[in-house]
Order: sequence, then C-alpha cells, then structure tokens
Amino acid sequence: MKGFFATFKNDHWVMPYLRRYKKLLVLVLFLGFMTFFCGGALMFNSGYLISRAATHPYNILMIYVPIVLARAFGIGRPAFRYAERLTSHNWVLRIVSDFRKRLYEAVEKQAVAIRQTHQTGDVLSILAEDIDHIENLYLRTVFPLVIGWLLYAFVVIGIGYFNWAFGLLMLILLGVIVIVMPLLSVAVNGRREFQARQVQRTFYTQLTDAVLGLGDWLISGRRHDFLAQQDAPIDEIASLRRADHHFQWWRNFAIQFIFGAAVILLVWWAGVMFTHNQAEANWVAAFGLALFPTVEPFADMSQGVSEWPVYQDSIKRVNALDENEPKQVEQTTIGELNELKLDHVKFTYPGASREVIDDLSLTLHPGEKLALLGPSGTGKSTLLKLMLGDETPTSGQVTLNGEPIARLQDQRAQLFGVLDQQPYLFNTTVMNNVRLGNLNASDEEVMAAVKAVELDDLIARLPAGYQTQVQEAGSRFSGGERQRLSLARILLQDAPIIILDEPTVSLDPITEQHLLDTVFDVLHDKTIIWVTHHLAGINHVDQVRFIEDGHFDMQGTPAELYRDNPRFQSLYDLDRGR
Amino acid sequence: MIDQRVFKFPGVKPAAAVMAVLTFIQAFMIIFQARYLSIAIVNLWHMKSVRTIVAPLALFAVAFLARHLLTLAQNWLLYPFVEKTTKTLRKQFMAKLFDLGPSVVAQKGTGNVVTMGLEGIDKIQTYLMLIIGKVLDLSLTPWIVLIYIALIQWKEALFLLAIYPLIIFFMIILGLAAQAKADRQYAGYQRLSNHFVDTLRGLPTLKQLGLNKTYANNVYQVSEDYRKKTMSTLTIAMTSTFALDFFTTLSIAIIAVFLGFGLMNGSIQLLPALIILTLAPDYFAPIRNFANDYHATLNGKNALTAVLDVLQRETPTDRDLLPVRDPVWQANDAIKFDHVNVSYGDADKPTLKDINFDVHGFQKVGIIGASGSGKSTLINTLGGFLSPADGQIEVRGTTVPHLDQQAWQRSFVYIPQAPYLFHASLRDNLAFYAPDASDDAITAAAAKAGLTDWIATLPAGLETPIGEGARGVSGGQAQRIALARAFLDDSRRILLFDEPTAHLDIETEVELKQTMLPVFDNHLVFFATHRLHWMNEMDYILVMDHGEIVQQGTPAELQQQGGAYVRLRSEMEGATVK
Repeated sequence: MKGFFATFKNDHWVMPYLRRYKKLLVLVLFLGFMTFFCGGALMFNSGYLISRAATHPYNILMIYVPIVLARAFGIGRPAFRYAERLTSHNWVLRIVSDFRKRLYEAVEKQAVAIRQTHQTGDVLSILAEDIDHIENLYLRTVFPLVIGWLLYAFVVIGIGYFNWAFGLLMLILLGVIVIVMPLLSVAVNGRREFQARQVQRTFYTQLTDAVLGLGDWLISGRRHDFLAQQDAPIDEIASLRRADHHFQWWRNFAIQFIFGAAVILLVWWAGVMFTHNQAEANWVAAFGLALFPTVEPFADMSQGVSEWPVYQDSIKRVNALDENEPKQVEQTTIGELNELKLDHVKFTYPGASREVIDDLSLTLHPGEKLALLGPSGTGKSTLLKLMLGDETPTSGQVTLNGEPIARLQDQRAQLFGVLDQQPYLFNTTVMNNVRLGNLNASDEEVMAAVKAVELDDLIARLPAGYQTQVQEAGSRFSGGERQRLSLARILLQDAPIIILDEPTVSLDPITEQHLLDTVFDVLHDKTIIWVTHHLAGINHVDQVRFIEDGHFDMQGTPAELYRDNPRFQSLYDLDRGR
Repeated sequence: MIDQRVFKFPGVKPAAAVMAVLTFIQAFMIIFQARYLSIAIVNLWHMKSVRTIVAPLALFAVAFLARHLLTLAQNWLLYPFVEKTTKTLRKQFMAKLFDLGPSVVAQKGTGNVVTMGLEGIDKIQTYLMLIIGKVLDLSLTPWIVLIYIALIQWKEALFLLAIYPLIIFFMIILGLAAQAKADRQYAGYQRLSNHFVDTLRGLPTLKQLGLNKTYANNVYQVSEDYRKKTMSTLTIAMTSTFALDFFTTLSIAIIAVFLGFGLMNGSIQLLPALIILTLAPDYFAPIRNFANDYHATLNGKNALTAVLDVLQRETPTDRDLLPVRDPVWQANDAIKFDHVNVSYGDADKPTLKDINFDVHGFQKVGIIGASGSGKSTLINTLGGFLSPADGQIEVRGTTVPHLDQQAWQRSFVYIPQAPYLFHASLRDNLAFYAPDASDDAITAAAAKAGLTDWIATLPAGLETPIGEGARGVSGGQAQRIALARAFLDDSRRILLFDEPTAHLDIETEVELKQTMLPVFDNHLVFFATHRLHWMNEMDYILVMDHGEIVQQGTPAELQQQGGAYVRLRSEMEGATVK
C-alpha cells in the first residue's frame, strides 16, 4: 500500500487526466454502475414479479409495472454495457493521444541522452508499451474497481435502509470481497509478480542471447549445454505460474464462499424481516435473487488489481522521464556564417575520469572541407556532438561567428545538415520523406533534389513513383539509396555546414565511391566536416586530421600527408589494396 | 470449435474425460443450488417460520460450495496436464531451434523467434487451460439445465432452446461484419499504430532537420485519427457482444414475464417458476463465458499454429556422413564443390548458381565480389547453415549432400563482421568452443589474439561480463575474441571469415591484420571481403558476381588473365583514387 501512494505522490501522468476528462469519467462510471445495477434489478424485479403473480392478483394491471420494468432492465443492462464499453474506450484512447504527445515531447527534450544510454531502439518500444499499460490500468483496474465500489456502496446502503444492523453486517462481509481480497491479491501477487518478471527477464535475455548466437552454438556442437541452459528458467517460470494459479483458484473460491454466505444471510434476514404479511413476503424472492448478478463484477476487482505491479512499473518509468529536464539557455541567431571555431575545447563525460577531448582547437571557414579520422573510441563522435551543441565542453568553447553554439540551438537546423550512418526513413511516402528537409518545398523542388542525388530513375520505377510508401518499398532501398534519399533532404534543408558521420560505413567500396562522388559534387559550396573510418575518397577534402586519444595527431592536405608522412602513406596504400 | 491439434497432446484424453465427469456433476449442483434456494424462498413466501428454511438453506450451501469446489478441482486436475504440455513444448521448441540452426532465425526474425518461445507458449498455456473447460461446459451444462427445466415446464424450456441458435446466429453475423470491417481497415490501422514508435525512433533525424518541435502536434493528430478509426471498428466489434448480452438478458426478462402470466392463471406454481427463473442465467452463462474469452482463445490458437509450424519443420538428416577424426582437417585433405546450387527461402535474396571449386590442405582462399554477389551465401553454405538445392560436395573423399555435418562443424571457426558475444563472462566467451579449456590455455590464446593489454584494464579480468547489456566491446576487440577461440581450439583447422574488417577503421584493421596473419598458418582459410589488401595474403581467389564464380585462380594468374578480377580491383581502387 505504501508503494501505491508513493507511486502517485509525484505522479503527473495518471491523476491529472482523471481530473481533466472528469465529465467523461463520471459518465463511464455511471454507465458501468448502471450495467450491473440493471443486472441486479432485473433479478430483483423478476423475483418480485413472479411472487406477486403467484398471489393471483385480481387484475393484470397489478403486475403491470414489474412487467414493464423487467423488459426495461432486460434491455437496459446490455445497452448500458455497450455504452459503457464504447465510452470507456473512447475516453482511454483520448488520453492515449495526450500521452503520446507528452511522451514525444519528453523524449524529444532528451533525444540525445536517450540515444546515448540505449543504442538500440528498445527503450522506445518499452516506453510505447508503457502507454499501453496505462491504458489498461484504466480499463482493467481503475474502472472495474470504482464501479465495484459504487455497487458495493449501493447494496450496503440499500439494505441498511431497511435495517442498519444487517447493513453493517453486509458492509463487513462484502467488504472482504471488494476490499480485503483485492489488497491480498496485490500483496501476495505483487511479490510473486516481481519475482516472475525477474525470471521472465532472465529468460528473455538468455533466449535472445541463445537465438542470436545460435550459429556459434551449432558450431560448438554443445547441444546438451544449450538445452540445459534453458531448463532452469523454464522450470522456474512453470513453478511461479503454478503458485500464481493456485492462489487465484483459492481466492476465487474464497470469494464465492463469502458470497454464498452473504446470499444465505440475506435470505435469512429477508425471512425474518418480511414475513409479517403476504405483501411483504413478495419481496423475499426479490432479495434472494438480486445479489447473484453482482458476483461477477466483485470477483473481477481482485483480478484487475493483481495486475497493478505491472502498471506501477510503467507509471514510475514515464514519471521519471520528464523529471530532469535539461536547463534552457537563452537563444539568439546569427546571420551569414563566416567562421566555425573550436577554442581549446576539453570534454569529460559526467562521472568519467578520462578526458575524451583534450584541448582541441580548430577553425573552419565557409566552403572548407575537413576529414576526421581515428580509431573508434578516440572522440570523433563526441567532437561532432560538441560542434552541434548536443554536449557542452567542460572548458573552452565552440562558436559560430563568435556566438556559442549552445545559444544557437533554435537556429540549428538552418546551420547544420547531418548525414549519419543510419539515415532514418519515415513510414510515409517518398515525397514526404524528402520534403522533411524543407516543408515549404514544392513538388518540383523535391524532384529536383532527388534528381541531383541521381535517384530520379529509381523513383520513377517504383509502383506509385513519389507517392510510394517507404515501408512497402523498404527492400527496394539499399543502404546507398537510403543515404541518397537522406542527402536529397539535406539539399532541401540548404544549411551552410554539413556533417557527415561515417555515412559509408556499411557500404561496399564501389557504392561508397559513387555516393561520395555525389555527396561532394552536390555539396561543393558547403562547409563539410566528414568523419570517416578509412581513406576512400579522401582526396575530396582539403584538410585531413587524425584524432588520437582526444587530440589531433597528423594533419595536412591529403597530398602533403602522402608526401611527408610515412604512416599516412602506408595506410593510404593499404586502402588501395597494395 | 475446439482445435483438433489439442487432442494430439499426450495425456489430453484422460484429463478431458475427468473434466467431463466433473462438469457433469457440476451441472447437477447448479440445479440443486437453484432448487433449494427456491424452496427456502417459497417457504418464506408462504410465511412459514424461519425454521423451515434451515434445511433447504443448508442444502443450498452444500450445493453452492460443491459447485465452486468442483471448479477448483477441475483446475487442479487439468493444470498438471497443461503445465507438462507447455513445458514440453518449450523444451521441444528449444531443441528444434538448435537442430534447425540460424537459417530459421534468419527467416523468422530474432524478435519473432524469442516472442514465440516466451509469450507464444504462454498464450498456448492460457489457451489450453481455457478451451477444454469452456468447451465441455458449453456442451454439457446448458443441456442438463434445459432438460431439468423441460421436466418442470416444457414451454419455457422450448423458448430457451429456440433462442439459443438465434443468439449464435446473431453473434456470428455481427462478428463477421466486425471482422470484415477490421480487415478492411487493417493496413491503415497498423500504420497508425506503428506511427508512434516510428516517430520516436526517427527523432534524432527530426532534430537534425529542425522538425522536432512541430512534430508533436503531428503525433497528436495521428493518434486522434487512430482513435477515431479504432472507435468505428470497436463499435461494430462490440455489437457482437451486445447482441449476445441483449438476447440473454432479455430472454431472462421474457421468461420472468411468461412465468408471471403462468402464475396468474394458475398454470404453474411458485416453486417451479422460481427454480426456472434462478436457472435461466446459468443456462446462458457458458456461452457468455465462451464469448468473453474468445480473443484469448484466438491468440492461443494463432500462437499454437506458429509454434507447431516450427516444430514440424524437417531437420536436416544425414548429419553424420562425414567420419569423425581428430583433427577433422589435415594438410592433405581436400574439399570439392561440384555444380552446387543454393537457394534461399524467398526468391529475391541472392542464390548461388553452379558453384565449382576444389581446394585442399591449408590454402588461403579469398572470396571477392560486389555487395550481393553471393559471398556471404557461399560462406554460409561452407558453414553448413544453408543446404544446397542440388550438386555435390566432396569432403575428404566422402560425398555429402550438405555441410551440416557434425564432424565438419567441429572443424571450423566462423568469424563474421560482428562476431556474436554471449551475455556471459569474457572467459566463457573465449572458451565457447572448448568449455573445458584450462586457465593457462585461455590466457595464452588471449595473448596470441592481442587481448592481454585490454584484459588488464578490465575490472574483473577474464571474469568480466561482456555482451549485450553489459560492458561494451569494440568491433576490433570482438574480432580478437573470435580469433582467440580459434587459437584455443587447435582441432578447428578451418577459418571462415565473412567481411571481418568491413566496419573497422583503417588503423584498427592494420593492427588486427598483424594478429590475424599468424593464425592463417596451418589453417584452411576462406576469406570473403571487399578490402583489397587482403587479396595479397591469399593464394587462391574466387571472384563472384550475381551468385556465380566468374573467375578463379591464384592472384598472379588472375592478374595476368585480366577480366572480372582486374575489372573489380580497378573499380574498387577507384574508391580510393580519383
């Protein structure tokens, strides 16, 4: 229970929406309540109806009202249920729209940080799943719980109206079903759920590991080890499941047991209460039957609540998301670019001791082209992040026209174009994908850009040309073609500085060569900073710098380096296959 | 209604038989329960003393408890069968995975296979647990109840019987309509629901293009569209539940009114009327339960199909044709491909056509060609991960249909572009092919692979956990770990390299090459690459183009002959000189 309140203490994902869509929420709860009310009332009314009819009333009109009510409740129950389900789904999906926007904004603010800590897109899927979980929290836990309690209150007050002492008895008895059992479920199941999730996660990791390394397992010939490794979590999961089921079965039985006791007591009480004359006795059957339809909503409450630990995890995660927002720096803009300068830049990642960038200085003027080389882990990517303003130097600064880059973030897309290793193509048409570079570009401008990157023939061959969905054409676009589409975007974006972050790393040499030719051809008037892992196409640039352990090692024009530097010379020859 | 495949699981028939008996008894308990409750109520209606209801209420309590105890017993008896079946399924699935090897993973996708083994089998468990009980309940309980009602009052029984097909009829009609509508919307639907994850994954790109802020509204809009589409489908989907609900509830109301009239004109007494009224909901309960769990059963059915599809695949036979010998490969052995054709499952992947070559002893065989020319396919065929469609392979004078030979697989080490590192300690990773290797041997192998310095920097040395989610390992080090595996297991005299250095930077590659070359001695090497300098180390070269070997011979011969090899080289060199 402590965990429950702790979860909501700093919550700004679940509660605010309950408040914001208050009216719809009340409607959902009302409809849900009416569904079960009609169910109970139908049996109550029917019990009365036949008891009354059995007294052979003088005139049919004497039972006319219960007859009409029987039909009304009979139609009311499904109708309310139908309306409740539609309204609650509509309500939840409306919230989901809000959630998605919020999650997007939260992730957007930390886009860089998330990329850094989680290289795969898995975290994003997890977050998207969290939203589904919160959706279910409402549908499967919150609504049934509140509706169950409303029903409980109604039953207790209804009986209490006739006899407060018996009402109190029912309050306690049914309270066990609607309050104690759900709490017990959370307490018992919560712990087990926690364990199960751990085992599940182990199994998941292990299975993924086994599947990804299946080739090596096969070669190793260790079939027995492979199977033995999976046995432990399989057995563990099975025994946790078993315990879980056993608990559920006994709990459901206990609920039925208490419920049976409540029915017996109710009949007994009705027998004592309403046996003074025939008119009163007609109500006995009504009370005797009315309770049965409520067992279903009551029993569902415990089941819904036992899923709480899953939801709790999700709520915590999304709440943690937008807690540490990066601080905002006042923004400004600059005019035409005339200088990009790194001035004695040093950088250390928070918590790390090693300096990734150690006193780097560099000045670039419009139209200059620089290649950065160096083994992985020497700070090339970090340097790019510093230039873009995604990271702030520990000392020294990065400036454009003398203005620190951190103050130019609003103008960033007008200053920098980026072509990285995995350009992302969105699941929309080719036309829309390219137009992302400049939303105001006309169709003709988009086509001109596509022509410049020499993809016009390919696009013309697609089934729907520029209107082809990227997903459907997915297999059609090779790595090189994806890079070209991305390049077309950059052409439309028309920023003065272009950053190339190993755009050819996964391409074969021939494709690589052609792509680089196109890149440097269409971007001939731009300032280019190109991080590359080998020397293919190095002659396109007028400056080469090697980074080693955070500082510049060799530098010069490709021709000078080849002439004067034996190390560069041997690397260059090697790359040419000599 | 029930999947025939369920009956194929061992132990299902005895379990189902016991379930049937219990369900049968339970139906009578339902009748007793209704009967004795009615007797109690009617006694009170006759204004008899409360003492007269003690016996009926006690009998009601017994029947009520017995009914729910029987539910408990059903679960208790069925569960061992279900647990055993799913456990066996899981283990069979793992064993099958090992026997089928990586080709099935490549075809189905890693995520898909893992999901199948985890959630898929969980769903089957739920399915088995539900389907047997529900189907028995549906095929026994309503009819026993109906017969009992017919014995009391045939007219009401007739009405209940008549309404039943009507309910099913409307359920099917509306269900089909919903299905049709859902199918029509599915594509658009899927795109909308994936849009969110798509956007999150593409966020860095959006940021580069300066669209990150404006896109938030797009996320909201798309989500709202999704809501509207979902609601319109749900409206129909829920209509089917509504129909079921409507007919069952209204039927109860109509029965109540019928009984009311019957009581008024004296054609029925209160007791039978009340029994019928009490039993009516139980008559409809099984079909309602069945419909409520319809989706769970559908998911389970689909999961079962998917898992059985994998389990029923044929595993390669004739895996021990190649005689075991240690070491499998020696200096005077030969391997010969004779008109070998290989095709992938789906046609648009590259296939190998008419592959012929003959290599022997410790030759170094370079495989060169543009992307998609079939280099990887050839390496996979050599590793036995793919089986030829036709043609002959002769190893050490033995003709084999494929290289998925147990003896062959103990003879080589496979080193792809990104060797898979298991989520385990560095030691376990190094000794993966030789788990019994001594510490000294492991240290020595690591030293030969040039890992000593790196291991010294690790917090726990050889015991440091590496792999996904643990300590990051650079591409160069991953290659070295794979090399160490080769050093460690001296009986593996064949090395299969598939673009081992394609993504490494040139300096790391140079260092790695120094480590690699000594391993080539006393090993048969197959080396697929497009880094040209490796060709200088080879003594035989296969030039591939569009799945065929277009030229083969020693580097000197090929250079002299001109043709494909020279053309390819100059084209690739073009990548480095302009």
